[in-house]
Amino acid sequence: MDGGPTRSSGAHRSTRWWARRFVIASVVAVQITAVVAAYGTTHTPLGWQMFPASDEWEAEIVRVTVDGERRDIRDPWPGGVQWSTVVRNHGLADPFRRHPATYGIETTLDFLEGALEWVAHHTPDDSETIRLEAVVTYWENGRGPHRAVLVSSDREEAAR
Amino acid sequence: MIAAAARRVAALSTSIDGEGDIRAVELLRMAAGPLVILHLAPFLALALDGVAYSDRFTEPYLSVYPAVGPALYFAILWVGVAAAAFLSLGFATRVAAATTAAVVGYNLLLSRTHFSNNRFFLLVLLVGLALLPVGRRWSIDAARRRRRGLPAADSRTGLWPLLLMRFEVATVYLASGTSKLIDADWWGGTVTRLRVVQWQDAVADGGVPGWLLDIAKSPEFHSWFAKAAVLTELAIGLGLVLRRTRLGAVWLAVPFHVSIELAASVQVFSYAALAALVIWVTPEAGDRTVVIRGSTPVARLVSRSVRRLDWTGRFALTTPAGKGPLVSLVDRNGVETHGAAAVRRIASRLPLTFWVAAPLNLPPARALWDRVTARVFGPASGRPTADAAAPEPPAR
Repeated sequence: MDGGPTRSSGAHRSTRWWARRFVIASVVAVQITAVVAAYGTTHTPLGWQMFPASDEWEAEIVRVTVDGERRDIRDPWPGGVQWSTVVRNHGLADPFRRHPATYGIETTLDFLEGALEWVAHHTPDDSETIRLEAVVTYWENGRGPHRAVLVSSDREEAAR
Repeated sequence: MIAAAARRVAALSTSIDGEGDIRAVELLRMAAGPLVILHLAPFLALALDGVAYSDRFTEPYLSVYPAVGPALYFAILWVGVAAAAFLSLGFATRVAAATTAAVVGYNLLLSRTHFSNNRFFLLVLLVGLALLPVGRRWSIDAARRRRRGLPAADSRTGLWPLLLMRFEVATVYLASGTSKLIDADWWGGTVTRLRVVQWQDAVADGGVPGWLLDIAKSPEFHSWFAKAAVLTELAIGLGLVLRRTRLGAVWLAVPFHVSIELAASVQVFSYAALAALVIWVTPEAGDRTVVIRGSTPVARLVSRSVRRLDWTGRFALTTPAGKGPLVSLVDRNGVETHGAAAVRRIASRLPLTFWVAAPLNLPPARALWDRVTARVFGPASGRPTADAAAPEPPAR
Protein backbone atom coordinates (compact mmCIF):
# COMPACT_ATOMS: atom_id res chain seq x y z
CA MET A 1 0.00 0.00 0.00
CA ASP A 2 2.79 2.34 -0.78
CA GLY A 3 2.90 5.20 -3.22
CA GLY A 4 1.06 8.46 -3.25
CA PRO A 5 2.52 11.73 -2.04
CA THR A 6 4.29 11.47 1.25
CA ARG A 7 4.34 13.97 4.05
CA SER A 8 7.80 13.31 5.40
CA SER A 9 11.06 13.43 3.59
CA GLY A 10 14.02 11.34 4.55
CA ALA A 11 15.90 14.45 5.56
CA HIS A 12 13.40 15.64 8.12
CA ARG A 13 11.58 13.08 10.22
CA SER A 14 8.87 14.75 12.21
CA THR A 15 7.32 13.67 15.48
CA ARG A 16 4.35 12.43 13.44
CA TRP A 17 6.67 10.25 11.36
CA TRP A 18 7.94 8.53 14.49
CA ALA A 19 4.51 8.47 16.15
CA ARG A 20 2.97 6.61 13.20
CA ARG A 21 5.66 3.96 13.35
CA PHE A 22 5.36 3.64 17.11
CA VAL A 23 1.58 3.14 16.92
CA ILE A 24 1.85 0.59 14.11
CA ALA A 25 4.65 -1.34 15.81
CA SER A 26 2.70 -1.36 19.09
CA VAL A 27 -0.50 -2.63 17.49
CA VAL A 28 1.36 -5.34 15.58
CA ALA A 29 3.22 -6.41 18.73
CA VAL A 30 0.04 -6.51 20.85
CA GLN A 31 -1.86 -8.40 18.17
CA ILE A 32 0.81 -11.04 17.66
CA THR A 33 1.20 -11.45 21.41
CA ALA A 34 -2.57 -11.94 21.78
CA VAL A 35 -2.67 -14.54 19.02
CA VAL A 36 0.16 -16.52 20.62
CA ALA A 37 -1.24 -16.09 24.14
CA ALA A 38 -4.61 -17.45 23.04
CA TYR A 39 -3.05 -20.93 22.79
CA GLY A 40 -2.30 -20.92 26.50
CA THR A 41 -5.12 -18.95 28.12
CA THR A 42 -8.90 -18.89 27.93
CA HIS A 43 -11.03 -16.21 26.22
CA THR A 44 -8.16 -13.98 25.13
CA PRO A 45 -9.29 -10.78 23.40
CA LEU A 46 -7.76 -10.50 19.92
CA GLY A 47 -6.78 -14.20 19.99
CA TRP A 48 -9.17 -14.91 17.09
CA GLN A 49 -9.73 -18.61 17.73
CA MET A 50 -13.17 -18.96 16.20
CA PHE A 51 -15.24 -22.10 16.88
CA PRO A 52 -12.28 -23.64 18.69
CA ALA A 53 -13.94 -26.88 19.77
CA SER A 54 -17.15 -28.87 19.96
CA ASP A 55 -16.93 -29.62 23.66
CA GLU A 56 -20.10 -30.23 25.65
CA TRP A 57 -20.91 -30.04 29.32
CA GLU A 58 -23.57 -30.28 31.98
CA ALA A 59 -23.44 -29.64 35.70
CA GLU A 60 -25.23 -30.28 38.94
CA ILE A 61 -24.88 -27.25 41.16
CA VAL A 62 -25.74 -27.36 44.83
CA ARG A 63 -25.73 -25.09 47.85
CA VAL A 64 -23.92 -26.63 50.80
CA THR A 65 -25.67 -25.36 53.92
CA VAL A 66 -24.20 -24.76 57.36
CA ASP A 67 -25.74 -28.03 58.57
CA GLY A 68 -24.05 -29.95 55.74
CA GLU A 69 -27.07 -30.42 53.48
CA ARG A 70 -26.60 -30.24 49.71
CA ARG A 71 -29.53 -28.46 48.08
CA ASP A 72 -30.09 -28.18 44.36
CA ILE A 73 -29.88 -24.53 43.30
CA ARG A 74 -33.15 -24.98 41.40
CA ASP A 75 -34.92 -25.37 44.77
CA PRO A 76 -36.11 -22.24 46.64
CA TRP A 77 -33.20 -20.15 47.84
CA PRO A 78 -33.17 -17.74 50.79
CA GLY A 79 -33.58 -14.18 49.51
CA GLY A 80 -35.35 -15.37 46.37
CA VAL A 81 -32.17 -15.77 44.33
CA GLN A 82 -32.48 -17.54 40.98
CA TRP A 83 -29.28 -18.82 39.39
CA SER A 84 -30.57 -18.39 35.84
CA THR A 85 -31.37 -14.73 36.50
CA VAL A 86 -27.98 -13.68 37.82
CA VAL A 87 -25.80 -15.93 35.63
CA ARG A 88 -26.64 -15.46 31.97
CA ASN A 89 -23.73 -15.48 29.56
CA HIS A 90 -21.97 -18.29 27.69
CA GLY A 91 -24.63 -20.95 28.33
CA LEU A 92 -24.21 -20.76 32.11
CA ALA A 93 -27.85 -19.92 32.80
CA ASP A 94 -28.98 -23.50 32.23
CA PRO A 95 -26.13 -25.77 33.32
CA PHE A 96 -28.36 -28.75 34.06
CA ARG A 97 -28.68 -30.13 30.56
CA ARG A 98 -25.91 -31.17 28.18
CA HIS A 99 -25.02 -28.42 25.77
CA PRO A 100 -22.08 -26.97 23.82
CA ALA A 101 -19.26 -25.09 25.51
CA THR A 102 -19.16 -21.96 23.39
CA TYR A 103 -15.44 -21.26 23.53
CA GLY A 104 -14.26 -24.70 24.62
CA ILE A 105 -14.54 -26.44 27.97
CA GLU A 106 -11.59 -24.62 29.54
CA THR A 107 -13.35 -21.31 29.09
CA THR A 108 -16.64 -22.67 30.36
CA LEU A 109 -15.04 -24.16 33.48
CA ASP A 110 -13.26 -20.88 34.09
CA PHE A 111 -16.51 -18.92 33.76
CA LEU A 112 -18.46 -21.41 35.89
CA GLU A 113 -15.88 -21.19 38.66
CA GLY A 114 -16.13 -17.41 38.53
CA ALA A 115 -19.92 -17.58 38.55
CA LEU A 116 -19.96 -19.78 41.66
CA GLU A 117 -17.72 -17.31 43.42
CA TRP A 118 -19.72 -14.29 42.27
CA VAL A 119 -23.09 -15.74 43.27
CA ALA A 120 -21.74 -16.94 46.62
CA HIS A 121 -20.72 -13.39 47.46
CA HIS A 122 -23.67 -11.48 45.98
CA THR A 123 -26.50 -13.13 47.93
CA PRO A 124 -26.44 -11.19 51.21
CA ASP A 125 -29.90 -12.38 52.32
CA ASP A 126 -28.83 -16.02 52.33
CA SER A 127 -27.60 -16.92 55.79
CA GLU A 128 -27.78 -20.72 55.43
CA THR A 129 -25.47 -21.42 52.45
CA ILE A 130 -21.83 -21.82 53.29
CA ARG A 131 -20.59 -22.49 49.77
CA LEU A 132 -21.63 -23.49 46.24
CA GLU A 133 -20.41 -26.60 44.49
CA ALA A 134 -20.67 -27.69 40.89
CA VAL A 135 -20.07 -31.21 39.67
CA VAL A 136 -19.36 -30.83 35.98
CA THR A 137 -19.50 -33.62 33.45
CA TYR A 138 -17.92 -32.75 30.13
CA TRP A 139 -16.90 -34.19 26.80
CA GLU A 140 -13.89 -32.81 24.90
CA ASN A 141 -14.71 -33.07 21.22
CA GLY A 142 -16.75 -36.17 21.95
CA ARG A 143 -14.18 -37.77 24.24
CA GLY A 144 -15.30 -38.45 27.76
CA PRO A 145 -17.15 -38.12 29.96
CA HIS A 146 -14.72 -36.31 32.24
CA ARG A 147 -15.60 -34.92 35.62
CA ALA A 148 -14.60 -31.74 37.44
CA VAL A 149 -15.68 -30.40 40.80
CA LEU A 150 -15.71 -26.64 41.29
CA VAL A 151 -16.19 -25.09 44.71
CA SER A 152 -16.70 -21.47 45.73
CA SER A 153 -14.92 -20.07 48.74
CA ASP A 154 -16.83 -20.19 52.02
CA ARG A 155 -19.33 -17.43 52.66
CA GLU A 156 -18.79 -15.27 55.71
CA GLU A 157 -22.51 -14.46 55.86
CA ALA A 158 -23.30 -18.09 56.75
CA ALA A 159 -20.22 -18.71 58.86
CA ARG A 160 -21.21 -15.92 61.26
CA MET B 1 18.70 -11.41 0.43
CA ILE B 2 19.59 -8.64 2.86
CA ALA B 3 19.12 -6.12 0.08
CA ALA B 4 15.68 -7.57 -0.71
CA ALA B 5 14.68 -7.39 2.95
CA ALA B 6 15.92 -3.81 3.13
CA ARG B 7 13.86 -2.95 0.05
CA ARG B 8 10.76 -4.47 1.67
CA VAL B 9 11.32 -2.51 4.87
CA ALA B 10 11.81 0.67 2.83
CA ALA B 11 8.60 -0.05 0.87
CA LEU B 12 6.67 -0.63 4.10
CA SER B 13 8.04 2.58 5.53
CA THR B 14 6.87 4.44 2.42
CA SER B 15 3.43 2.81 2.75
CA ILE B 16 3.07 4.11 6.27
CA ASP B 17 3.48 7.69 5.02
CA GLY B 18 1.41 7.22 1.86
CA GLU B 19 -1.80 9.07 1.15
CA GLY B 20 -4.85 7.90 -0.73
CA ASP B 21 -8.55 8.29 -1.28
CA ILE B 22 -10.57 6.40 1.32
CA ARG B 23 -14.10 7.11 0.10
CA ALA B 24 -14.75 3.35 -0.16
CA VAL B 25 -14.30 3.04 3.60
CA GLU B 26 -17.29 5.37 4.03
CA LEU B 27 -19.46 2.35 3.13
CA LEU B 28 -18.14 0.59 6.22
CA ARG B 29 -18.89 3.71 8.25
CA MET B 30 -22.50 3.66 7.05
CA ALA B 31 -22.86 -0.02 7.97
CA ALA B 32 -21.20 0.43 11.34
CA GLY B 33 -24.10 2.28 12.98
CA PRO B 34 -26.72 -0.47 12.56
CA LEU B 35 -24.13 -3.09 13.49
CA VAL B 36 -23.30 -1.30 16.72
CA ILE B 37 -26.96 -0.87 17.60
CA LEU B 38 -27.56 -4.57 16.91
CA HIS B 39 -24.55 -5.40 19.06
CA LEU B 40 -25.77 -3.20 21.92
CA ALA B 41 -29.38 -4.42 21.66
CA PRO B 42 -29.11 -7.18 24.32
CA PHE B 43 -27.51 -4.74 26.77
CA LEU B 44 -30.16 -2.12 25.98
CA ALA B 45 -32.98 -4.63 26.46
CA LEU B 46 -31.67 -5.33 29.94
CA ALA B 47 -31.22 -1.62 30.57
CA LEU B 48 -34.89 -1.02 29.74
CA ASP B 49 -35.71 -3.58 32.47
CA GLY B 50 -33.39 -1.73 34.84
CA VAL B 51 -30.76 -4.48 34.78
CA ALA B 52 -27.12 -3.39 34.60
CA TYR B 53 -24.03 -5.49 34.04
CA SER B 54 -23.29 -5.30 37.78
CA ASP B 55 -26.61 -6.97 38.66
CA ARG B 56 -25.35 -10.20 37.13
CA PHE B 57 -22.25 -12.35 37.21
CA THR B 58 -19.38 -10.24 35.98
CA GLU B 59 -15.65 -10.79 35.98
CA PRO B 60 -13.50 -7.70 35.35
CA TYR B 61 -10.36 -8.05 33.25
CA LEU B 62 -8.63 -5.61 35.57
CA SER B 63 -9.58 -4.74 39.13
CA VAL B 64 -8.62 -1.11 38.46
CA TYR B 65 -10.98 -0.82 35.48
CA PRO B 66 -13.38 2.10 36.07
CA ALA B 67 -16.77 0.57 36.88
CA VAL B 68 -19.77 2.88 36.94
CA GLY B 69 -23.16 2.77 38.63
CA PRO B 70 -26.27 1.58 36.80
CA ALA B 71 -27.62 5.04 35.93
CA LEU B 72 -24.37 6.17 34.33
CA TYR B 73 -23.96 2.79 32.63
CA PHE B 74 -27.38 3.07 31.02
CA ALA B 75 -26.57 6.62 29.92
CA ILE B 76 -23.31 5.43 28.35
CA LEU B 77 -25.17 2.76 26.37
CA TRP B 78 -27.67 5.30 25.02
CA VAL B 79 -24.86 7.69 24.14
CA GLY B 80 -23.38 4.77 22.19
CA VAL B 81 -26.63 4.33 20.28
CA ALA B 82 -26.81 8.02 19.41
CA ALA B 83 -23.14 8.10 18.41
CA ALA B 84 -23.62 5.02 16.22
CA ALA B 85 -26.56 6.65 14.45
CA PHE B 86 -24.54 9.85 13.91
CA LEU B 87 -21.62 7.77 12.63
CA SER B 88 -23.74 6.11 9.97
CA LEU B 89 -25.31 9.39 8.93
CA GLY B 90 -21.96 11.17 8.95
CA PHE B 91 -22.95 13.85 11.41
CA ALA B 92 -20.02 15.18 13.47
CA THR B 93 -18.40 12.08 12.05
CA ARG B 94 -15.03 12.07 13.79
CA VAL B 95 -16.53 12.72 17.22
CA ALA B 96 -19.25 10.14 16.56
CA ALA B 97 -16.71 7.53 15.45
CA ALA B 98 -14.50 8.07 18.49
CA THR B 99 -17.50 8.02 20.85
CA THR B 100 -18.92 4.86 19.31
CA ALA B 101 -15.59 3.07 19.59
CA ALA B 102 -15.16 4.28 23.17
CA VAL B 103 -18.62 3.09 24.27
CA VAL B 104 -18.34 -0.32 22.61
CA GLY B 105 -14.81 -0.74 23.96
CA TYR B 106 -15.75 0.34 27.47
CA ASN B 107 -18.70 -2.05 27.59
CA LEU B 108 -16.70 -4.98 26.22
CA LEU B 109 -13.87 -4.54 28.69
CA LEU B 110 -16.20 -4.17 31.68
CA SER B 111 -16.41 -7.92 32.09
CA ARG B 112 -14.88 -11.06 30.67
CA THR B 113 -18.45 -12.35 30.39
CA HIS B 114 -18.96 -9.82 27.58
CA PHE B 115 -16.20 -11.54 25.61
CA SER B 116 -16.77 -12.84 22.14
CA ASN B 117 -14.53 -12.73 19.10
CA ASN B 118 -17.18 -11.09 16.95
CA ARG B 119 -17.59 -8.23 19.41
CA PHE B 120 -13.86 -7.56 19.47
CA PHE B 121 -13.82 -7.69 15.68
CA LEU B 122 -16.45 -4.96 15.63
CA LEU B 123 -14.38 -2.93 18.08
CA VAL B 124 -11.29 -3.24 15.87
CA LEU B 125 -13.26 -1.87 12.91
CA LEU B 126 -14.66 0.99 15.00
CA VAL B 127 -11.21 2.01 16.20
CA GLY B 128 -10.04 2.00 12.58
CA LEU B 129 -12.97 4.20 11.57
CA ALA B 130 -12.19 6.58 14.42
CA LEU B 131 -8.66 6.99 13.09
CA LEU B 132 -9.77 7.81 9.54
CA PRO B 133 -11.68 10.86 8.25
CA VAL B 134 -14.59 8.82 6.90
CA GLY B 135 -17.19 11.56 6.63
CA ARG B 136 -15.81 13.73 3.86
CA ARG B 137 -17.80 12.46 0.91
CA TRP B 138 -21.18 10.91 1.64
CA SER B 139 -22.28 12.37 4.94
CA ILE B 140 -24.36 15.06 6.57
CA ASP B 141 -21.07 16.81 7.31
CA ALA B 142 -20.28 16.94 3.58
CA ALA B 143 -23.82 18.11 2.76
CA ARG B 144 -23.54 20.92 5.32
CA ARG B 145 -20.28 22.05 3.74
CA ARG B 146 -21.94 22.14 0.33
CA ARG B 147 -24.88 24.12 1.70
CA ARG B 148 -22.49 26.66 3.21
CA GLY B 149 -20.81 26.99 -0.16
CA LEU B 150 -17.54 25.51 1.06
CA PRO B 151 -15.49 23.29 -1.24
CA ALA B 152 -15.82 19.54 -0.67
CA ALA B 153 -13.32 18.15 1.81
CA ASP B 154 -10.60 16.07 0.22
CA SER B 155 -11.13 12.30 0.56
CA ARG B 156 -7.38 11.84 0.42
CA THR B 157 -5.69 11.22 3.72
CA GLY B 158 -2.81 9.39 5.34
CA LEU B 159 -3.23 5.66 4.85
CA TRP B 160 -1.52 4.28 7.93
CA PRO B 161 -4.82 3.64 9.82
CA LEU B 162 -6.10 1.75 6.77
CA LEU B 163 -2.88 -0.23 6.78
CA LEU B 164 -3.53 -1.15 10.40
CA MET B 165 -7.14 -2.13 9.69
CA ARG B 166 -5.98 -4.38 6.88
CA PHE B 167 -3.39 -5.96 9.13
CA GLU B 168 -6.02 -6.64 11.80
CA VAL B 169 -8.62 -8.06 9.43
CA ALA B 170 -6.12 -10.31 7.66
CA THR B 171 -4.87 -11.47 11.06
CA VAL B 172 -8.39 -12.58 12.01
CA TYR B 173 -8.54 -14.98 9.05
CA LEU B 174 -4.95 -16.15 9.38
CA ALA B 175 -5.01 -16.64 13.15
CA SER B 176 -8.34 -18.42 13.06
CA GLY B 177 -7.32 -20.63 10.15
CA THR B 178 -3.95 -21.47 11.70
CA SER B 179 -5.51 -22.44 15.04
CA LYS B 180 -7.72 -24.92 13.19
CA LEU B 181 -4.93 -26.16 10.93
CA ILE B 182 -2.77 -27.27 13.86
CA ASP B 183 -5.68 -28.74 15.82
CA ALA B 184 -6.00 -32.44 14.91
CA ASP B 185 -9.68 -32.52 15.88
CA TRP B 186 -10.44 -29.56 13.62
CA TRP B 187 -8.37 -30.73 10.67
CA GLY B 188 -9.75 -34.26 10.95
CA GLY B 189 -13.35 -33.08 10.91
CA THR B 190 -14.34 -34.01 14.47
CA VAL B 191 -15.20 -30.46 15.51
CA THR B 192 -17.43 -29.68 12.53
CA ARG B 193 -19.12 -33.10 12.65
CA LEU B 194 -19.97 -32.77 16.32
CA ARG B 195 -21.39 -29.28 15.66
CA VAL B 196 -23.83 -30.82 13.21
CA VAL B 197 -24.64 -33.65 15.62
CA GLN B 198 -25.27 -31.14 18.41
CA TRP B 199 -27.71 -29.17 16.28
CA GLN B 200 -29.22 -32.05 14.29
CA ASP B 201 -32.65 -31.76 15.91
CA ALA B 202 -32.90 -28.07 15.06
CA VAL B 203 -31.59 -28.75 11.55
CA ALA B 204 -34.17 -31.51 11.02
CA ASP B 205 -36.94 -29.26 12.35
CA GLY B 206 -35.81 -26.70 9.79
CA GLY B 207 -36.87 -29.07 7.01
CA VAL B 208 -33.51 -30.54 6.01
CA PRO B 209 -34.18 -34.03 4.53
CA GLY B 210 -32.96 -37.04 6.47
CA TRP B 211 -30.64 -38.29 3.75
CA LEU B 212 -28.90 -34.92 3.60
CA LEU B 213 -28.54 -34.83 7.36
CA ASP B 214 -27.02 -38.33 7.27
CA ILE B 215 -24.39 -37.08 4.82
CA ALA B 216 -23.80 -33.97 6.90
CA LYS B 217 -23.16 -36.13 9.99
CA SER B 218 -20.81 -38.61 8.35
CA PRO B 219 -17.12 -38.59 9.34
CA GLU B 220 -16.10 -39.07 5.68
CA PHE B 221 -17.87 -35.86 4.67
CA HIS B 222 -16.32 -33.89 7.51
CA SER B 223 -12.81 -35.16 6.90
CA TRP B 224 -13.02 -33.22 3.60
CA PHE B 225 -15.33 -30.42 4.64
CA ALA B 226 -13.16 -29.37 7.60
CA LYS B 227 -10.04 -29.22 5.45
CA ALA B 228 -11.88 -27.16 2.85
CA ALA B 229 -13.12 -24.76 5.54
CA VAL B 230 -9.67 -24.31 7.09
CA LEU B 231 -7.92 -23.85 3.75
CA THR B 232 -10.59 -21.41 2.59
CA GLU B 233 -10.09 -19.29 5.69
CA LEU B 234 -6.32 -19.30 5.23
CA ALA B 235 -6.66 -18.59 1.50
CA ILE B 236 -8.83 -15.56 2.24
CA GLY B 237 -6.34 -14.22 4.80
CA LEU B 238 -3.32 -14.75 2.60
CA GLY B 239 -5.16 -13.70 -0.56
CA LEU B 240 -6.18 -10.38 0.95
CA VAL B 241 -2.60 -9.56 1.86
CA LEU B 242 -1.23 -10.23 -1.61
CA ARG B 243 -2.30 -7.65 -4.17
CA ARG B 244 -2.52 -10.04 -7.10
CA THR B 245 -4.91 -12.39 -5.31
CA ARG B 246 -6.91 -9.74 -3.42
CA LEU B 247 -9.89 -9.63 -5.75
CA GLY B 248 -10.25 -13.41 -5.61
CA ALA B 249 -9.96 -13.38 -1.82
CA VAL B 250 -12.69 -10.75 -1.51
CA TRP B 251 -14.86 -12.82 -3.85
CA LEU B 252 -14.24 -15.97 -1.79
CA ALA B 253 -14.95 -14.14 1.49
CA VAL B 254 -18.52 -13.38 0.44
CA PRO B 255 -19.84 -17.00 0.30
CA PHE B 256 -17.58 -17.87 3.24
CA HIS B 257 -19.32 -15.36 5.51
CA VAL B 258 -22.78 -16.01 4.11
CA SER B 259 -22.37 -19.73 4.87
CA ILE B 260 -21.16 -18.98 8.41
CA GLU B 261 -24.18 -16.75 8.96
CA LEU B 262 -26.51 -19.52 7.77
CA ALA B 263 -24.81 -22.26 9.78
CA ALA B 264 -23.94 -20.59 13.07
CA SER B 265 -25.01 -17.90 15.48
CA VAL B 266 -22.23 -15.31 15.34
CA GLN B 267 -24.14 -12.14 16.24
CA VAL B 268 -22.99 -9.29 13.97
CA PHE B 269 -19.76 -10.93 12.82
CA SER B 270 -20.84 -11.96 9.32
CA TYR B 271 -22.30 -8.55 8.50
CA ALA B 272 -19.29 -6.73 9.94
CA ALA B 273 -16.86 -8.96 8.04
CA LEU B 274 -18.74 -8.47 4.76
CA ALA B 275 -18.88 -4.69 5.25
CA ALA B 276 -15.18 -4.65 6.15
CA LEU B 277 -14.27 -6.02 2.72
CA VAL B 278 -14.36 -2.43 1.43
CA ILE B 279 -11.10 -1.70 3.22
CA TRP B 280 -9.38 -3.77 0.51
CA VAL B 281 -10.53 -1.45 -2.26
CA THR B 282 -7.51 0.33 -3.75
CA PRO B 283 -7.44 3.75 -2.08
CA GLU B 284 -7.35 5.67 -5.34
CA ALA B 285 -10.53 7.17 -6.80
CA GLY B 286 -11.40 7.61 -10.45
CA ASP B 287 -8.25 5.97 -11.72
CA ARG B 288 -10.20 4.08 -14.39
CA THR B 289 -12.02 5.98 -17.09
CA VAL B 290 -15.31 4.87 -18.59
CA VAL B 291 -15.97 6.37 -22.01
CA ILE B 292 -19.55 6.27 -23.27
CA ARG B 293 -20.49 7.42 -26.73
CA GLY B 294 -23.92 8.07 -28.12
CA SER B 295 -27.32 8.33 -26.48
CA THR B 296 -28.81 4.95 -27.21
CA PRO B 297 -30.81 3.28 -24.41
CA VAL B 298 -27.90 0.91 -23.78
CA ALA B 299 -25.43 3.79 -23.54
CA ARG B 300 -27.73 5.59 -21.11
CA LEU B 301 -28.15 2.41 -19.05
CA VAL B 302 -24.39 1.88 -18.74
CA SER B 303 -23.85 5.55 -17.95
CA ARG B 304 -26.56 5.58 -15.31
CA SER B 305 -25.31 2.32 -13.78
CA VAL B 306 -21.79 3.68 -13.42
CA ARG B 307 -23.06 6.94 -11.92
CA ARG B 308 -25.38 5.27 -9.42
CA LEU B 309 -23.57 2.08 -8.52
CA ASP B 310 -19.95 3.20 -8.35
CA TRP B 311 -20.09 3.54 -4.56
CA THR B 312 -16.37 3.02 -4.09
CA GLY B 313 -15.39 5.71 -6.62
CA ARG B 314 -13.58 3.45 -9.05
CA PHE B 315 -14.43 5.32 -12.26
CA ALA B 316 -14.20 8.68 -13.95
CA LEU B 317 -16.96 8.93 -16.54
CA THR B 318 -16.68 10.78 -19.85
CA THR B 319 -19.20 11.07 -22.67
CA PRO B 320 -17.33 12.49 -25.67
CA ALA B 321 -19.00 13.30 -28.98
CA GLY B 322 -17.90 11.52 -32.11
CA LYS B 323 -17.62 7.99 -33.31
CA GLY B 324 -16.16 5.03 -31.53
CA PRO B 325 -17.18 2.05 -29.45
CA LEU B 326 -20.38 2.45 -27.43
CA VAL B 327 -18.49 1.86 -24.20
CA SER B 328 -14.79 1.79 -23.47
CA LEU B 329 -12.75 1.41 -20.34
CA VAL B 330 -9.27 2.76 -19.81
CA ASP B 331 -7.83 0.82 -16.89
CA ARG B 332 -5.41 2.30 -14.36
CA ASN B 333 -2.46 0.72 -16.18
CA GLY B 334 -3.56 2.23 -19.48
CA VAL B 335 -5.10 -0.90 -20.98
CA GLU B 336 -8.18 -0.09 -23.06
CA THR B 337 -11.09 -2.46 -23.49
CA HIS B 338 -14.23 -1.89 -25.52
CA GLY B 339 -17.79 -3.12 -25.87
CA ALA B 340 -18.77 -6.29 -24.01
CA ALA B 341 -15.28 -6.64 -22.55
CA ALA B 342 -15.45 -3.13 -21.07
CA VAL B 343 -18.89 -3.74 -19.56
CA ARG B 344 -17.65 -7.01 -18.07
CA ARG B 345 -14.71 -5.29 -16.41
CA ILE B 346 -16.80 -2.35 -15.22
CA ALA B 347 -19.41 -4.65 -13.66
CA SER B 348 -16.69 -6.58 -11.87
CA ARG B 349 -15.66 -3.39 -10.07
CA LEU B 350 -19.10 -2.20 -8.95
CA PRO B 351 -19.97 -3.42 -5.42
CA LEU B 352 -23.48 -4.56 -6.32
CA THR B 353 -22.48 -6.59 -9.38
CA PHE B 354 -18.95 -7.55 -8.33
CA TRP B 355 -19.69 -11.03 -7.05
CA VAL B 356 -21.52 -12.16 -10.16
CA ALA B 357 -19.40 -10.26 -12.67
CA ALA B 358 -15.87 -10.93 -11.38
CA PRO B 359 -15.86 -14.61 -12.48
CA LEU B 360 -16.84 -13.45 -15.97
CA ASN B 361 -13.24 -12.26 -16.34
CA LEU B 362 -11.99 -15.85 -16.13
CA PRO B 363 -11.20 -17.39 -19.53
CA PRO B 364 -14.15 -19.76 -20.20
CA ALA B 365 -16.82 -17.39 -18.92
CA ARG B 366 -15.12 -14.40 -20.53
CA ALA B 367 -15.41 -15.82 -24.04
CA LEU B 368 -19.03 -16.81 -23.50
CA TRP B 369 -20.00 -13.38 -22.08
CA ASP B 370 -18.22 -11.51 -24.84
CA ARG B 371 -19.95 -13.58 -27.52
CA VAL B 372 -23.44 -13.44 -25.98
CA THR B 373 -23.46 -9.72 -25.14
CA ALA B 374 -21.56 -8.44 -28.19
CA ARG B 375 -24.82 -7.51 -29.93
CA VAL B 376 -25.88 -5.36 -26.99
CA PHE B 377 -22.63 -3.65 -25.96
CA GLY B 378 -20.60 -4.02 -29.12
CA PRO B 379 -17.82 -6.49 -29.93
CA ALA B 380 -15.30 -7.09 -27.20
CA SER B 381 -11.87 -5.78 -27.99
CA GLY B 382 -8.94 -4.41 -26.15
CA ARG B 383 -5.46 -3.17 -26.77
CA PRO B 384 -2.79 -1.84 -24.50
CA THR B 385 -2.00 1.81 -24.95
CA ALA B 386 1.53 3.16 -24.83
CA ASP B 387 1.10 3.71 -21.09
CA ALA B 388 0.49 0.02 -20.53
CA ALA B 389 4.16 -0.64 -21.01
CA ALA B 390 4.81 1.47 -17.94
CA PRO B 391 5.33 -0.31 -14.62
CA GLU B 392 2.28 -1.41 -12.63
CA PRO B 393 0.97 1.24 -10.28
CA PRO B 394 2.18 0.90 -6.72
CA ALA B 395 0.74 -1.94 -4.68
CA ARG B 396 -2.05 -0.66 -2.47
